[in-house]
Amino acid sequence: MNSDILKPSAVAARISTFRPSQRLIHGVDLAGKWSAPIADVIILILAAIIAPVFYNPTNLKTVAIQFAVLGIVAAGQTLVLLVRSIDLSVSAVLALGAVIVVQTTGGNSIGLAIVEAFAIAAFIGLANGFLVSKRLVPPFIASYGMLVFVQGARLAYTKGQASGTVPELLRAISIGQVGFLPAALVIWLIVNAALIVVLRYTSLGRWIYAVGGNPSGARYAGVKVDAMVIGAHIACSMLAMFGGLVLSGYIGYVDLKLGTDYNLNSIAASIVGGTTFTGGRGNLFGTAAGVALLVLLLNLVVVLGLPIHWQFAMQGLVLVFATALQGFRQFLLSR
Amino acid sequence: MSMQTERATAVSAMRWKKITTFVRNNASIVLIFGMILVLGIAATIVTEKFQNPSNLINIFRQSIVIGLIAIGQSAVILTGGADMSVAMVARIVALIVATIFAANNSSSALIVPLLLLGIAIGAVLGGFNGLLITRTHANPFIITFGVANILRGVNLAIATTPIRGIPPEFLKIYDSKIGIVPVNVLVMILVWVLAWLLTTRSRPGRAIFAVGGSERVARLSGIRVNRAMVLAYIFSGMCAALAGLFLLSRSGVGDPSAAEGMDFQSMVAVALGGISLYGGKGSMIGTLGGVLLLAILSNVFNLTQVNIYYQQLFLGMIVLIAVAVYKTPRSA
Repeated sequence: MNSDILKPSAVAARISTFRPSQRLIHGVDLAGKWSAPIADVIILILAAIIAPVFYNPTNLKTVAIQFAVLGIVAAGQTLVLLVRSIDLSVSAVLALGAVIVVQTTGGNSIGLAIVEAFAIAAFIGLANGFLVSKRLVPPFIASYGMLVFVQGARLAYTKGQASGTVPELLRAISIGQVGFLPAALVIWLIVNAALIVVLRYTSLGRWIYAVGGNPSGARYAGVKVDAMVIGAHIACSMLAMFGGLVLSGYIGYVDLKLGTDYNLNSIAASIVGGTTFTGGRGNLFGTAAGVALLVLLLNLVVVLGLPIHWQFAMQGLVLVFATALQGFRQFLLSR
Repeated sequence: MSMQTERATAVSAMRWKKITTFVRNNASIVLIFGMILVLGIAATIVTEKFQNPSNLINIFRQSIVIGLIAIGQSAVILTGGADMSVAMVARIVALIVATIFAANNSSSALIVPLLLLGIAIGAVLGGFNGLLITRTHANPFIITFGVANILRGVNLAIATTPIRGIPPEFLKIYDSKIGIVPVNVLVMILVWVLAWLLTTRSRPGRAIFAVGGSERVARLSGIRVNRAMVLAYIFSGMCAALAGLFLLSRSGVGDPSAAEGMDFQSMVAVALGGISLYGGKGSMIGTLGGVLLLAILSNVFNLTQVNIYYQQLFLGMIVLIAVAVYKTPRSA
């Protein structure tokens, strides 16, 4: 080509001539919202056929506790995604909580240790939110840097040794029973109910959706956008900390690799449940369905006796599928 | 007399202005090489071993693998995307090549075909990433993260223990020299020059910048946005594959934990080098500086025997400070 200037017709030819039909847009939107719950039902039926062991009471309790922990963490992740940010430091915060509570209870009261843990989590969330909203750092870089930093701090402190026994209180809130339900599940239910009420019925919740849907519009409407972003990050880190405490109560000791999967899983659960990266779309019911999908799939790998690397592939597949679906959905809806 | 001094001050003011404009236009590059200089001086004060010629050469050699990955990553980040699958691409290439060598009695006749095969695998995986992103409009960072996880699973399916049986001729590639120039440094320089030419002198390369600046405007100007993006991901995949081959040649076994963490390290190198993580701004020269800075840092840590966990702590801290200090203005 000898000329850098294209004829208008050539330009027009290069601009996408893709005109999606209304039916396609509607279909993809429905798929984005409902693929997780539908997949849940299919997997539950499938499990009954190919792996009846899945419905053992002990296995069900394991699934319920894993569901609760991931559910608490993913709820926080959803909040952050709703304001167009992302938090890749949840796994580090989650592991940090266990270390703080287990290692500082010698001499201190557990109450103090828990307050300390939540304060540190809030500070980490504040730092993430500050970097994202005030310094305009791309959220995944800011929070991934935070992940490396917090993980390094924890490992430098513990020297990578597994140690300590988990206090009774944490054992109680995760594997204890409330009626016929595991305590962890009850906690998940309370946390989610509170968050759903806030998101649906308070002006705070509407502001969060407004910030994600249209940040500059929200700013003009008088919403404190930066405060919402920072607040979502603080809430997310504190929920991750809470999830970590429940998880360490379930596992019983503090491990070097504790919680490393939770970044990817919490994002995958939120996204497959209908939350988009561009913010303002999604809700916690969808996230719960997404959490169930991931936990079921990962548990099936174990129950079926497949090699454990299938778990990685499974997580990756769910994430790729969900990200592609939600990206396409957002693209269609925003045209 | 007074006229002369006036003219002298005017000339020096002009010269000064020239320097300040240069610094302002290339702030990130000046900053990164300034930091390398400061770090180098600090390192020579802290430990005498640092300024050994053999140690300095070592720094270059150790930055080859991460450097190759970072060059590919730069092209992707310039489009406004990110490729988090590079480490797993490097690993899968190393493992597949090692497996084929092991299955064929480490026959040295296979070296050239397998080198080509490895790079082809990288290109295919990169192209897959690129098509996935351009066709579905998905978030590049997350979707390549997902691809990386799938590849992690596949890698574990290929091997969980080191694969032996690499022909000795293949291992020599890493240490061989042409004259006095090590081959690996030569390959790195070639790839860098190629990347530099691609991004500054070629039509698709300029398209990469345009897409990173504003995808919408680029599309409306008739630039082939999708083609530029897919090309960037293919280039990144090929660079990662090359890095994987060098890793294999260096370690001598198909290591199932090869390249761990290099996805993030490459992004850090690129970010330190001043390429805007929102895309569209920066240069390959900065990336080179970022890679060198990281290599010197880890070299100093090793020489002074800092605990590996503290190294991670420092790395995280440096990243957080760097991204907080760099201004990434975005007029939305």
